[in-house]
Amino acid sequence: MANTRTDLMQGTLELLILKTLSRGSMHGYGIAQRIHEAVDDVLRVEDGSLYPALYRMEERGWVSSEWGVSENNRRAKFYKLTRAGRKQLEGEQANWQRISQAVTRILQTT
Amino acid sequence: MTGLFHRLDPAQTRRDIDEELRFHIDLLTDEHLRRNMSFEEASEAAFTRFGNIEQIRDQCAQIKRQQHPVIRALKLFLVLVFLSGVVIRIFAPEYHVTRVGDILMAVGFLGRLWLYVRGLVPSSFISKPEESSPLRLRDDVQSLVRGL
Repeated sequence: MANTRTDLMQGTLELLILKTLSRGSMHGYGIAQRIHEAVDDVLRVEDGSLYPALYRMEERGWVSSEWGVSENNRRAKFYKLTRAGRKQLEGEQANWQRISQAVTRILQTT
Repeated sequence: MTGLFHRLDPAQTRRDIDEELRFHIDLLTDEHLRRNMSFEEASEAAFTRFGNIEQIRDQCAQIKRQQHPVIRALKLFLVLVFLSGVVIRIFAPEYHVTRVGDILMAVGFLGRLWLYVRGLVPSSFISKPEESSPLRLRDDVQSLVRGL
């Protein structure tokens, strides 16, 4: 039976976060806003789900975090891409392009 | 040094997670208030968009615990103990020395196993966090896709 929850590929959220952080350091809310602006017409992202992903990515060394002061003068945790994260982003992006091109080719020929 | 002690304090870690999540919820609430909602409506909408905060807090705390410097050091130590055992087992000239190797291998292996079972080692095998689908297609798009 087909999964009606329409799960997307694992790592998609991480790819979106990596891409968003490639613009510069941001707090979780900022990352969520950027993702919503970009994909809200197709994907529903629960804001909270960003945090376990961010913590895992920090554990893997893809992002680093530090506490700072936000635009509304509150203490906030800011995340930024590390060198390993940038490398990961390049790899993931290339992989994504390959997969999407392959699927598109199949869809066009069948 | 202060940073290290900060990381070693689980209560502080918990407070940091709470503060970070609270910051996000507050900004979401402000966002909804700007759309002329009442505070109750804005707060409810913020929590809905955020998702299950208790579950998210627990997941974050669990990931942080795995990152804990003491746990990382313990994992490394157990690997070294196990490898020392293997080396002793291979190169030990006498029988009673190879027993020491066996003991070290057992300590290293059982220690790692204990951490694994306690959930201190990342594992999707024993327990998978209930967030397999942090992203999903919007309901209307899902219906569209299913209708194809």
